Amino acid sequence: MSFLALDKWARLFRIIKQNGGIFKTTYKLWRFDTLKEGTFVGSDMFGNKYYENNFYFFGRNRWVEYHPRFAWEYDATHVTADWYGWLHNKTDNRPCEDCAKYYMNCNEYVNNWLMPFSENLTGTEKAYYPWSTVNHHICVWDGCAMCNRQPKK
Amino acid sequence: MAGALTRFFKGAKPQFGIVGPLVNSNAVAVRNQQSQAQAPPAKTRGSPLADCDRVFTNLYGRHDWRLKAAMCRGDWYMTKQILLKGSDWIVNELKTSGLRGRGGAGFPTGMKWSFMNKPSDGRPKYLVINADEGEPGTCKDREIMRHDPHKLVEGALIAGRAIGAQAAYIYIRGEFYNEASNLQVAIAEAYQAGLIGKNACCSGYDFDVFVHRGAGAYICGEETALIESIEGKQGKPRLKPPFPADVGLFGCPTTVNNVETIATSPTICRRGGKWFSSFGRPRNHGTKLFNISGHVNTPCTVEEEMSIPLKELIERHAGGVIGGWENLLAVIPGGSSTPLIPKDVCETVLMDFDALVAAQSSFGTAAIIVMDKSTDIVKAIARLIMFYKHESCGQCTPCREGVSWMNKIIYRFVDGNASPKEIDMLWEISKQIEGHTICALGDGAAWPVQGLIRHFRPELERRMAEYACTYGPSKAERLY
Amino acid sequence: MLRQPLTRALTLSSPVRAAPLAARTYAGPPPPPEKFEVFIDDKPVMVVPGTTILQAAAQVGVEIPRFCYHERLAVAGNCRMCLVEVEKSPKPAAACAMPIMKGMRVKTNSDLTRKAREGVMEFLLVNHPLDCPICDQGGECDLQDQSMAFGSDRSRFTDIHFSGKRAVEDKDVGPLIKTIMTRCIHCTRCIRFASEVAGVDDFGTTGRGTDMQVGTYVEKMFLSELSGNIIDLCPVGALTSKPYSFAARPWETRRIDSVDVLDPLGSNIVVATRTNEVLRILPRTNEEINEEWLSDKSRFACDGLKRQRLVTPMMKDSAGNLAPVDWEDAMVAAARAIKDCPPNKLLAVAGDLADAESLVALKDLVNRLGSENTCTEQYFPLDGAGIDFRSSYLFNTKIANIEEADYILLIGANTRFEAPLLNARIRKAFVHKETDIAFIGPKVDLTYDYTHVGDSASVVKDLATGSSTHEVLKRLESARHPVVILGADQLKTPEGAAILAYTQELALRLQDKLEDKNWKVLNVLQRTASQAAALDIGYQPGVGKALQDGPQVVYLLGADSGVVSRDQLPKDAVVIYQGHHGDVGAGMADIVLPGAAYTEKRATYVNAEGRAQQTLVAVSPPGRAREDWKIIRALSEVVGERLPYDSLDEVRDRLAEVSPALVAYGDVQDNNYFAQARALSQSLQKPVSGKVDVQLKQLEDYFMTDTISRASPTMAKCVQAVLKQKQSQY
Repeated sequence: MSFLALDKWARLFRIIKQNGGIFKTTYKLWRFDTLKEGTFVGSDMFGNKYYENNFYFFGRNRWVEYHPRFAWEYDATHVTADWYGWLHNKTDNRPCEDCAKYYMNCNEYVNNWLMPFSENLTGTEKAYYPWSTVNHHICVWDGCAMCNRQPKK
Repeated sequence: MAGALTRFFKGAKPQFGIVGPLVNSNAVAVRNQQSQAQAPPAKTRGSPLADCDRVFTNLYGRHDWRLKAAMCRGDWYMTKQILLKGSDWIVNELKTSGLRGRGGAGFPTGMKWSFMNKPSDGRPKYLVINADEGEPGTCKDREIMRHDPHKLVEGALIAGRAIGAQAAYIYIRGEFYNEASNLQVAIAEAYQAGLIGKNACCSGYDFDVFVHRGAGAYICGEETALIESIEGKQGKPRLKPPFPADVGLFGCPTTVNNVETIATSPTICRRGGKWFSSFGRPRNHGTKLFNISGHVNTPCTVEEEMSIPLKELIERHAGGVIGGWENLLAVIPGGSSTPLIPKDVCETVLMDFDALVAAQSSFGTAAIIVMDKSTDIVKAIARLIMFYKHESCGQCTPCREGVSWMNKIIYRFVDGNASPKEIDMLWEISKQIEGHTICALGDGAAWPVQGLIRHFRPELERRMAEYACTYGPSKAERLY
Repeated sequence: MLRQPLTRALTLSSPVRAAPLAARTYAGPPPPPEKFEVFIDDKPVMVVPGTTILQAAAQVGVEIPRFCYHERLAVAGNCRMCLVEVEKSPKPAAACAMPIMKGMRVKTNSDLTRKAREGVMEFLLVNHPLDCPICDQGGECDLQDQSMAFGSDRSRFTDIHFSGKRAVEDKDVGPLIKTIMTRCIHCTRCIRFASEVAGVDDFGTTGRGTDMQVGTYVEKMFLSELSGNIIDLCPVGALTSKPYSFAARPWETRRIDSVDVLDPLGSNIVVATRTNEVLRILPRTNEEINEEWLSDKSRFACDGLKRQRLVTPMMKDSAGNLAPVDWEDAMVAAARAIKDCPPNKLLAVAGDLADAESLVALKDLVNRLGSENTCTEQYFPLDGAGIDFRSSYLFNTKIANIEEADYILLIGANTRFEAPLLNARIRKAFVHKETDIAFIGPKVDLTYDYTHVGDSASVVKDLATGSSTHEVLKRLESARHPVVILGADQLKTPEGAAILAYTQELALRLQDKLEDKNWKVLNVLQRTASQAAALDIGYQPGVGKALQDGPQVVYLLGADSGVVSRDQLPKDAVVIYQGHHGDVGAGMADIVLPGAAYTEKRATYVNAEGRAQQTLVAVSPPGRAREDWKIIRALSEVVGERLPYDSLDEVRDRLAEVSPALVAYGDVQDNNYFAQARALSQSLQKPVSGKVDVQLKQLEDYFMTDTISRASPTMAKCVQAVLKQKQSQY
């Protein structure tokens, strides 16, 4: 049994089955370079799916499968703030199970100031650039003003 | 400015050794004196002066001070002959007489004048007479100027001849209004009589005397500050070297002498240096005006022989200490800047330069301030320090900052609001001031404090203990 | 440790102080004074009589602490910090004032000495606020340093809890100097500087003892063009720089050696920068030029480097307004204009602050395009010898040698404002060497007494021809080292050529009679930092003739003094302006190319003496501005006349080709050919009738004279303050 590693073959077939057939599995492997089986835990606002399987050792036991529309352009910052804690084992509660998050989202006042989650746009056109809060020490000539000359005598 | 540079570059080597009172106050000097003492006439103490030996015969203003009366008393007698004998003779006579400067430092006058006999480099020479008598307790020059001004004018002429000066400037204290007025009248009389001015006393020697009134700063009694003041600048002492004998008034060689020194010189020339040196102990020859003030029955200014015992002086001329000799607490022997001496020292001390130096004090101007047992001695010294703080010119650091600091501390000592450890600190501060300043005012401010600590330390400690008893330990105790 | 480097004290105190400069061989070696031996800390040292203990100690490398002593000021001896023990002397002596005597043994490290220092330091700190963290002098404070080295480690000043420290009201002495008088330690350096060097007796002490205050007595501005130097002199934070207040700590700044260009002397400076920003400018010691002083304009106009700057190329748009464009567009447009222009209609004008590299590059470019029209703004008469001899337009006597002069004649040169440090030298000679000065021109305040000979140009003629009966002529003729200084302003007038000719005649007549054959009498004091280099390179002085031809393309290299204006040019003329400030030149330009200011480039400037010096890059040029010679080099490529140099070294090789003097940094070459110039100018000695006038008469005229100082808010404040002070009754 162990010589033939039948359990591993069995797991492979299970994975292929769970991932929806041989082609879809190949596609996933192409996208993520890994294949796992696990329980579907939930999905976020982008449609990313979160899985858990404690068979894998700690640190690999929770993972995300990015929504297909990201294709190969997925990014770690596509994990929303809601799911970040669960994914990194900071909490075992899913977002919907977290009372604090629930009440916070219910509170209208909070929604006034809480910005919707957005991915990190660094490296794109919309990348965030900080601006200097220091005054420019060079004051640029505006193209017309003369220097304050002394009155001609 | 150019003056400052000349000051800077022209060294005055010959008289470097004479750095003022400190050299003279060397204990070594006393020993030397004893070994060198000439055998027969050397006196060991002064005795009361005979009337015929008095230099200042109108000290109390009992006679007229004008020219005619002064001539009756012997002033301007044979002045021409003295002038004609020449400067070397006068200087020699002064050297023989052993006259030491009467302004406080006690520098031998003959030697001082001989510094001026260097070959002329074309600059005129000046005689400056220091009549800025501001030392608390001192009131000798004013008596001379208001009652015997012709002695001064004649002395100026003779001293001027001795050093080859063109003119004498008498820098008189601003507060001395009447004195300045009498002196001015005396000078005018002398001019009219042809005694000074062009061809003074028909000796072929031209000599002018000017009176310059000060504005009331104590520091202007310091010779270089006085010169600055005559020049119209702020009265701030100059650096020495160069000494005034090299670069003095208006950048010319100058000798600065006290009024009493100058006023004594005609009599010395007339009666001879030998006569003058017959008074007083060796190195402390002559007669001297003593001012006795404070807690005595009859405060007075009196001419006496040098080296007279302090006790005899007080008892004979000042009617004794109020409440008897036993009631004496301390005496400041030479004007406010000298350290005080307690009663047990007063018993035996002689009033001359060397004896008082040996008693860790100084002869100064011989202005004796007597304090009896009713005196708050700490407060008295504190008041003196306040005076010096107020009169410090502010030019150099130790005096400007140190004296005002001492003033702060000693007024706390008056209340006892201080730590006994601060007594040592005050002693150290006074030592940090002494000898580190441009002029001697810093020394003069430090000495009274040193005298107080030297002799009245238990009193200071008692006050502090008393304060601690009443108010709890002083804040300084915790801080220091 | 101490602020004054030991080396300087050494050079100053050395016995050859009388003739420290190589250039001063003319006087013949004075007989060396006899030296004698003294001992400093048992180290023998040979000194000449008159040396002070402090100077002797410096010779063997023993540094004596001091506050009031300064090498260039009179000795005050009042801080008592320099007390040292002298063997066989009962009291410690003030080392700064005590002349050394034969065989003297000085102990600078004995117990007595150290105690004295510690005592003085304690006294100084008694009333000095311990506010170093908020004091601008922190980090460069003599008191701070010396209290670390010589002070006690704890305070005994318990009275701070009883009566506190002294507090003194601050004084208002103008927009440049901030005073915190509580910190004053009464060293009187500022007072001595004001009265000795600046010649303005505004400062003094009032009060006595612990109530003594340094100040102006009545509230009054310190009306001097050298006022900034008292900031450097102040050993504590009592006098600090107002524009620089709380800007930076000295250890935060980078210091770059450079050269000043705001007056013709080329004073040596140190530019202190932080985060690519010029924070302040300090003087750098150069005995031959500025000693260790710096004039106010040079020191405080540096904030003008941050105002009105050109940071991007600009072109006139269809509406006639200048709009920012890319370098490519500006270059192509400029190149097209230049290419389209017939060579004789191309005119290049160099301004006040142009460096030698850009001058030579521009001239090469214009010449390659077939034009000879390169001009400077300042005029110089071309008749006679013109600019063919260097001696005709330079300050031949040399600045340092002014101290040796015994009679100085100023012809229409208000040195006080045209070259303040030269004036300080003249004053130094006046004070210390009893030099007399005569002045031809309007009555101005030169800070020293002078004989006013009149303000008519005919006076010059009379002196030159020897027909004058004025005593000045006799004095000049009897002087051993006479100096004649002609202000460049006079040359602009129609009679300039004649005045120059007469001045040459006068100076040469005097020079011929001198015993000292190396002494130069004739001096022309230029007004700007660029003129000497421009004339060396071969620029034509003055634009008058070239403008009359109606140029089509005018290339202004920092030309802002207003001698070229739009209404003198044909309607369709294209004006290209290259420079660093938006001023007159940029205002009339069609194309603006942003250049670098003197703190932003490594460039060569030649001062009025003909001494080449270089500035170094302290900060990078702002925005898209570039070094000037590179702009011209790039433009030449676009125009199609590539200049054959690609690096600064190659440009300088080219400069050396033009004149080796331009790259002989720090050196100044002796000028000759006076006689030839005189011969050529004989025919120009025509009758003159005009007045000799100077442009800068009053202090308020001095502050704003070029683009940088005109852009400086500090300089504007100075002008306001001076005008306000003039209204005051004091």
